Amino acid sequence: MVNFTVDEIRTMMDKKRNIRNMSVIAHVDHGKSTLTDSLVSKAGIIANARAGETRFTDTRKDEQDRCITIKSTAISMFFELEDKDLIFITNPDQCEKNQKGFLINLIDSPGHVDFSSEVTAALRVTDGALVVVDCVSGVCVQTETVLRQAIAERIKPILFMNKMDRALLELQLESEELYQTFQRIVENVNVIIATYNDDGGPMGEVRVDPSKGSVGFGSGLHGWAFTLKQFSEMYADKFKIDLVKLMNRLWGENFFNANTKKWSKQKDADNKRSFCMYVLDPIYKVFDAIMNFRKEEIDGLLKKLNIAIKHEDADKDGKALLKVVMRSWLPAGEALLQMIAIHLPSPVVAQKYRMEMLYEGPLDDEAAIGIKNCDPEAPLMMYISKMVPTSDKGRFYAFGRVFSGKVVTGQKARIMGPNYQPGKKDDMYEKTIQRTILMMGRYVEAIEDVPSGNICGLVGVDQFLVKTGTITTYKNAHNMKVMKFSVSPVVRVAVEPKNPADLPKLVEGLKRLAKSDPMVQCISEESGEYIVAGAGELHLEICLKDLEEDHACIPIKKSDPVVSYRETVNEESDQMCLSKSPNKHNRLFMKAQPMPDGLPEDIDEGRVNPRDDFKTRARYLGEKYQYDVTEARKIWCFGPEDTGPNILVDCTKGVQYLNEIKDSVVAGFQWATKEGVMAEENLRGVRFNIYDVTLHTDAIHRGGGQIIPTTRRCLYACLLTAKPRIMEPVYLCEIQCPEVAVGGIYGVLNRRRGHVFEESQVAGTPMFVVKAYLPVNESFGFTADLRSNTGGQAFPQCVFDHWQVLPGDPCEPGSKPYVVVQDTRKRKGLKEGLPDLSQYLDKL
Amino acid sequence: MANLTTDGKICIERKINISFTNNNFHDLVSHFNVMETCKWITENNFSKVCLQFPDELLTVSAQIYEEIKKRIDVDLYILGDTSYASCCIDAVAAMHVQGEAVIHYGRTCFTKSNIPVFIVLPKRDLDHNTTKKALKEHFNSDEHTKLCLFYDAEFEHCKDELVQIWYQQYPHSFIAFIEMEDKSKSFLGRLIKNRNEEEFPIDILKDCICIYIGLNGQTLFNYTISIEAKNWFALDPETFKIERKEETAWFKRRRFLIEKCRDANIIGILICKLAGDQTKDIISRMKQLCKVNGKKSYIISVGKPNVAKLANFPEIDIYVMIACPENDLYSSRDFYKPIIYPFELEVALNSNRESYFTSHITDYNELLPGNRHYCDINHTKEITDVSLITGKIRETRVQSNTESTMELAEKQNLALETIGHNLKERSWKGLEQKLGETEVKKAEQGRRGIPLQYNNEPE
Repeated sequence: MVNFTVDEIRTMMDKKRNIRNMSVIAHVDHGKSTLTDSLVSKAGIIANARAGETRFTDTRKDEQDRCITIKSTAISMFFELEDKDLIFITNPDQCEKNQKGFLINLIDSPGHVDFSSEVTAALRVTDGALVVVDCVSGVCVQTETVLRQAIAERIKPILFMNKMDRALLELQLESEELYQTFQRIVENVNVIIATYNDDGGPMGEVRVDPSKGSVGFGSGLHGWAFTLKQFSEMYADKFKIDLVKLMNRLWGENFFNANTKKWSKQKDADNKRSFCMYVLDPIYKVFDAIMNFRKEEIDGLLKKLNIAIKHEDADKDGKALLKVVMRSWLPAGEALLQMIAIHLPSPVVAQKYRMEMLYEGPLDDEAAIGIKNCDPEAPLMMYISKMVPTSDKGRFYAFGRVFSGKVVTGQKARIMGPNYQPGKKDDMYEKTIQRTILMMGRYVEAIEDVPSGNICGLVGVDQFLVKTGTITTYKNAHNMKVMKFSVSPVVRVAVEPKNPADLPKLVEGLKRLAKSDPMVQCISEESGEYIVAGAGELHLEICLKDLEEDHACIPIKKSDPVVSYRETVNEESDQMCLSKSPNKHNRLFMKAQPMPDGLPEDIDEGRVNPRDDFKTRARYLGEKYQYDVTEARKIWCFGPEDTGPNILVDCTKGVQYLNEIKDSVVAGFQWATKEGVMAEENLRGVRFNIYDVTLHTDAIHRGGGQIIPTTRRCLYACLLTAKPRIMEPVYLCEIQCPEVAVGGIYGVLNRRRGHVFEESQVAGTPMFVVKAYLPVNESFGFTADLRSNTGGQAFPQCVFDHWQVLPGDPCEPGSKPYVVVQDTRKRKGLKEGLPDLSQYLDKL
Repeated sequence: MANLTTDGKICIERKINISFTNNNFHDLVSHFNVMETCKWITENNFSKVCLQFPDELLTVSAQIYEEIKKRIDVDLYILGDTSYASCCIDAVAAMHVQGEAVIHYGRTCFTKSNIPVFIVLPKRDLDHNTTKKALKEHFNSDEHTKLCLFYDAEFEHCKDELVQIWYQQYPHSFIAFIEMEDKSKSFLGRLIKNRNEEEFPIDILKDCICIYIGLNGQTLFNYTISIEAKNWFALDPETFKIERKEETAWFKRRRFLIEKCRDANIIGILICKLAGDQTKDIISRMKQLCKVNGKKSYIISVGKPNVAKLANFPEIDIYVMIACPENDLYSSRDFYKPIIYPFELEVALNSNRESYFTSHITDYNELLPGNRHYCDINHTKEITDVSLITGKIRETRVQSNTESTMELAEKQNLALETIGHNLKERSWKGLEQKLGETEVKKAEQGRRGIPLQYNNEPE
């Protein structure tokens, strides 16, 4: 039973002030998808009774089977606010005049850290976020991560305390205890918000507050929820107090004495906290009566609460009855949709302050102004945040948000990939948009056009984009900013078909897989191996399953996980390294040295980057890393790929023709930093200094042919004389468990070269959180190992954190890094053994 | 003109790296087939003949010259310093002296030539008994498991004994004989025959175990990659060890390079072979393939390629080398940009060709019209896909049909843009004028000659 039509939605799309684009974010297993069901049931796509059991937004079979969300899914819903609620909306940009209906575009996102790229993609196209927290386990690692991301993208959060049924039925918390738990969660969330948001910033104050109605409570599984607004409405008439005032009274340090009928700010013997008295006590009573089968009491309560039970539900009892009663009394959809409509920003409001974060171009060009005003008449600007597979194999819907203008079926538009640069032709295609579609969970509906402020899918642009891109009709438009992920693809496996002749199918499948996931990387390596890289073991497992079953459709063999390493140096080169060009007429004198701690990360994060003004950059490097400012001004380039965490610095004085060979030296540097000397892995954190260069006076004798290979040889000599080292990726691992299991965790971590750096109890719960660093190389099978050693009580979440030097000398046979180097060389089909310095170093 | 050509002195004085082998041939006449050579020359009535030697045999060249000269009256020239590979016939050098025929010494690749050639194969002794024993230990043959013997050209002189041993042990098997004449069933200078001298096509090897007697080298490598057999084994004639040959890793690496070729925008066609009809054909075919796929191609001829020479063209993304398959540069990883075989370019750019292959085609003649592995060029449509190397969208831009509709001015702009694009990436834009910064001097005489060696070097 669908209670809205596509036409209705299309009409709503024009009323941009009545649109809410929002995502649901949370830690894994805090009940996002189940809660989302309550909303969907309210909007009427699935029948009411099944809410909480269907996981409507989990569209894939494995999602349903594992009860875990893997892909984020969008649904559009229609909801009407009553007149009495409309007055809560004060900002004129939050509601069109005389318009009660709201269009809510909701994206349900995965909670497991391995899939947080999906969250990033969801946040980009939404303006608000419903943060779901399990009130039993409290604010967890992933809650913090996604909340931080949301704030960084300027997404306004609202909070929902989920799983109240568990708190009441399993933990049997007293009402005051429960209040304290809620209070703590609200505080924790606000602390995180305060850390990452500037209250004076363009988004203003974004903290959540139960007394304002921006915090909800309830149970997604049982389908009931409320905010203080609902309870205030019940009591406002009785108390003759203004609704808003009452809401303030129902939270925090407000106590009521039932005998004297007096409010107080302090607790004393006779009064009781208002929240417990007016909000929790009635709920406790209902629970108590129903779970203890006190039939008469139940009937009395039902009458008092004005709940009519349908005939077919009349003979239910226990939990089943509890669900029915609570759902009719405090329907979750109603409370949540009110929260969303009242407290989350409309695109008109949000795009004003989000524009500068979204657009790369000048902030006053046509596209920028169009985005800022959310103007449907401006040139089209749409961001594609992900690709969604269609039933047609190998084809995808491009899913994204229209920020400005209108996207129309049959329209000719510019499709710009992430590498497009204005004025150039690379990564840009002018094509027709075959079809625009509305995406709702498992269904898609064709729609003629979609105006700014809405989320939709496109048919026919998937061939021109890999994962993300910008669609525009404005000729001078720049790209919309690429998304920054909080995880990186560090876990890699090599795949090959079981039947070698299926190789072309595998390659085709890998190309499809690369599109279908925002994070996964499918790489063909120099050795000819096909590598699939993901954020974690679970992510990789899902990707490989998709590859095998949906994309390649052939049986696949996968290798043990492979970790990619980095090569670095430990000291400055112990001698000036000289290499002569093949014609012996040119000489390069260079040295390598390690970068100071923090600089490689600064380069990764873009705080130091090749596009900076060289003077500003030099000053920064001078102040932060004590680099000589004159030298720091002469950074020739970054590498590999022109942006990597290695630099080449010109420290020469008065060398003739030096400019002329710069391109060749840079080319050699890019080559050497991409394929290091030890195992042809990327370099990291190495600074190369050119001290002197002697060149043949004749241009023809110092061309690229002479200089490029010589630079590479010289850089290799520099590396070999500077105590080469191998770096490995390290996870930050957060493990949640009860106290008894902590011992088991230490044991497992010790065996795997991990070390714990923080251990603390989650306030108000019996749970402990252990934080540790764990080398990625040692993490395979970690989850299973941990579970078996703690009786299944410990649950780890691992995110790539940093690179760390693998202790030992890779040049010393038998050491751990030596083994790593030899294994890597073997895998890549390189000559085994160690590189020979004399091949690279020449004598004067 | 003197300023444009090099002094012959450079050639003579150049140092070369060769590994010295034992060159004390006690019986030069029989070792280098002097009698047969003389007979061939007189029979064909040649008056001007060139003797082509590889670098390592140059030391005996004068003696051989003397021996032939002693026996017949003919004009002889010694050719050394072959332009590309000494296994190929240097017909151009022979033409310089209007030579009518070439006598080739040393290792040969059996590729065709447009000049009469007499090939003197190298010789090496083989311990027949130990060979027999080594074979017996490893291989059994019956009706079902067939064997095929490949002996190195060095053992051609003692093939009769070898044949006897072989058929005695494995009567149902085959031998791939060296065949210098062009026959319909021959490949890579070989022809398969059984005990009854019946000839067989190469396809029967698919069910055979192939055994190569000879040193591990480029020839054996080429056989293992290009001849599809059940298994390949090599018998080392010095140690008599038998080793299984498999090049899976090599094939994987080649597939990566094919992918790289699909990614390339500019392809360098590297000519490392003397002009001949087939060379011209394969060049134009490579050019056509590039054009059909919207890739730019440049023909590059730099003599024997080395790392320094090829790094002079940093804008070229990949090289396809037209060269003798006995060349070992294809697998070298020192080059700034990789080098691929013509066959690999075909696989990459001709969508009619099966993209999965288990055996390689090293001999590019096979790719030409009328030959065994010829395949029509598919005129590709404009398509896009994802490159697994760069992770970016890769596009096939077909230019032919769009060009016709373009305005002339637009066309010109496009041309300028494409030229400018490559140079724009370079930071060095040309000589810096430094007006006013350099002091004014009187013009003085510069250097003369060509850069390889000036007539007046400063130092």
